[in-house]
Amino acid sequence: MIRKIFIAFSLLLLIYMFWPTSSKISDFKALPNSAKSTLSGDTVQIPNVSAYFSNNFREFVIPFYIKNYQQNSHLPFPPLRLNHPPEYSWEVIKKHTETTYLEELVYPLKNSLYVNGYEIFRPDGTPIFYSVPKLEEAGEEWSTKATLRLYNSNILIRIIVWAGIVYSIILISKLSRKIIIE
Amino acid sequence: MNIPKLTSILNNSLFYLLLFLFAFIPLYPKFPLFNIPGVFVAVRIEDLLIALVAAIWLIFIWISKEWVILTKDNIFKAFALFFFIGLLSLFSAIFLTHTIVLHLGLLHFFRRIEFILLLPICATVFTTKKRLTFATGVLLLTLLTVNIYALGQQYLDWPVISTTNSEFSKGLILKLTPDARANSTFAGHYDLAVYLAIALVFLSVIFFIVKKFWKILILALGGFSLFVLILTAARVSFVAAFVGVISALFFAKKKKYLIPIFIILISVGAYPSQLRDRFVSTITVNLLNLGQRYEGRNLNQQLESKLNIPTLPYKMASRSALVSPFASATAGIPVDITPGEPINEVDLAVYRSFQIRLNIEWPRAANAFLKNPFLGLGYSSLGIATDNDFLRSLGEVGILGTFTFFLILLSIWKKIFKGIKNENRMIRFFSAGSLSMIITFLVNGLFIDVFEASKVASLFWIMLGLNLAVLNFREPISITRNGSPLSPRP
Repeated sequence: MIRKIFIAFSLLLLIYMFWPTSSKISDFKALPNSAKSTLSGDTVQIPNVSAYFSNNFREFVIPFYIKNYQQNSHLPFPPLRLNHPPEYSWEVIKKHTETTYLEELVYPLKNSLYVNGYEIFRPDGTPIFYSVPKLEEAGEEWSTKATLRLYNSNILIRIIVWAGIVYSIILISKLSRKIIIE
Repeated sequence: MNIPKLTSILNNSLFYLLLFLFAFIPLYPKFPLFNIPGVFVAVRIEDLLIALVAAIWLIFIWISKEWVILTKDNIFKAFALFFFIGLLSLFSAIFLTHTIVLHLGLLHFFRRIEFILLLPICATVFTTKKRLTFATGVLLLTLLTVNIYALGQQYLDWPVISTTNSEFSKGLILKLTPDARANSTFAGHYDLAVYLAIALVFLSVIFFIVKKFWKILILALGGFSLFVLILTAARVSFVAAFVGVISALFFAKKKKYLIPIFIILISVGAYPSQLRDRFVSTITVNLLNLGQRYEGRNLNQQLESKLNIPTLPYKMASRSALVSPFASATAGIPVDITPGEPINEVDLAVYRSFQIRLNIEWPRAANAFLKNPFLGLGYSSLGIATDNDFLRSLGEVGILGTFTFFLILLSIWKKIFKGIKNENRMIRFFSAGSLSMIITFLVNGLFIDVFEASKVASLFWIMLGLNLAVLNFREPISITRNGSPLSPRP
């Protein structure tokens, strides 16, 4: 019985890991009523990065990309949502990224979409701190900027990791039995 | 040179080198030999010495054919599996989750191999009672020296080497400031406290092995170590030490000695010390949320403290060059305090110590585990510390790596547990000490990354290796053997 459950689990894990998903940042939609950033560092300098100036706030941006990511992945469940300290954006987006929140949408063992938000105005238009800079793009002023970065993985890598996980579980199971009856 | 003679030379060389290491690892301050880019963990002389010992040991087990027996042992298999999963986790972290850089991941991976390898080395080399007696002597003298040096730092301004931040870890020679805590040669008071906790556990069982005169010396050394442990004011290690000593007395079947232990515990609790103050703060500030909190000097500061970067100005008009919006040292309030934090300095330190764990380190490890539950995000992905070894393990090597690590401990525990039923007093008490040391380490691991703290982690595996050797004693020294050095003789 345990063997059957394990085989079923291994096959399901393989299907999940093999299942195609978003592989490039252009697979993700632009935020509604936004202007795509043409600033240096937001276009081609760093792989799989794009940024949008808009008046959309976190409460809208994150659910928007969760839905978009799930649609791209054709999976029956949404990606996992992880909240990170904003300063982590220097590691996962790029150095000197301006940030007020950073979230990661992840399909474990597949790929991750980081969403970095820079919100310097409240929804009512008041600035969050004194002398906030202007967010200008396409000749307009905006309240927020959302930067996306996708970390993708190669299918071959995923298969190797899957094989390693399954093999490790088999070895652990055998060794546990030996140690317990020792 | 013939093979038996060469194995004998190698075996003797390993014995003397290990004796040297037993003193060198705890005593040599953490002076960096060379730094690794991207991290302030440095390679030190002791790493090279352990590598040298490991290289000689590999040659020794190869030519003595001991590796054939060794590789059949379950502990060895558990080590091999743990390292395999560690490598798989590194592979996944580099190519799948993109969460580490190769050289840092490998550095952390090899550090774990370095510490753990000391177990089979010691188990293979300390094959006689005479050798174990030498080892015990060196370890006790080292403990005495560590304690004396800690007192020197506390009261005589002896130099301090610390690795508590990136600047100190360059090998700066410092002095203890009035409220700072002694770290002796351990570069961090937490590491010293863990070392003393292990020492107290073993002293509590060695006390029953030795004869009368030595009992007094062991008792004195125990009292000295306890005093230095109190100076470190490390709450978790203090609790872990007492849990360890109590379990050692249980395993050694010396329950009547629990009464003096409880009397000592109550006395330490009653005596005014930084340790006692911190325990009180833990209850009043962290658990009961009591005590006066800083409210901020004005509305601006209260609002600014809610920003991601609290130093950003909220409203420029109320700022003045003369009146800082933050507290000043002259007001008797810490300069970097923010609204909501306790005003009292001890309370503040205790509060921050817990809040850093609760809001930064532990969630980071939990996120890492969620992102790859099987293999974690790889060694080095969580930075230098998580301050909870179980969460760190889950975050770095996932459920598979963590489970295998506990398999290692379980297989060692099962072997040593047989020792507490042995007729030989020394084997019985030593085994009681080792099992209690494992418990002490696990309790420490709830709030400190003990299995990654180089000096104490090395000593942990050394002591377990010695215990496995004790279970396998033979006289006179025999280079070739019939059973695994990691298993007791039938």
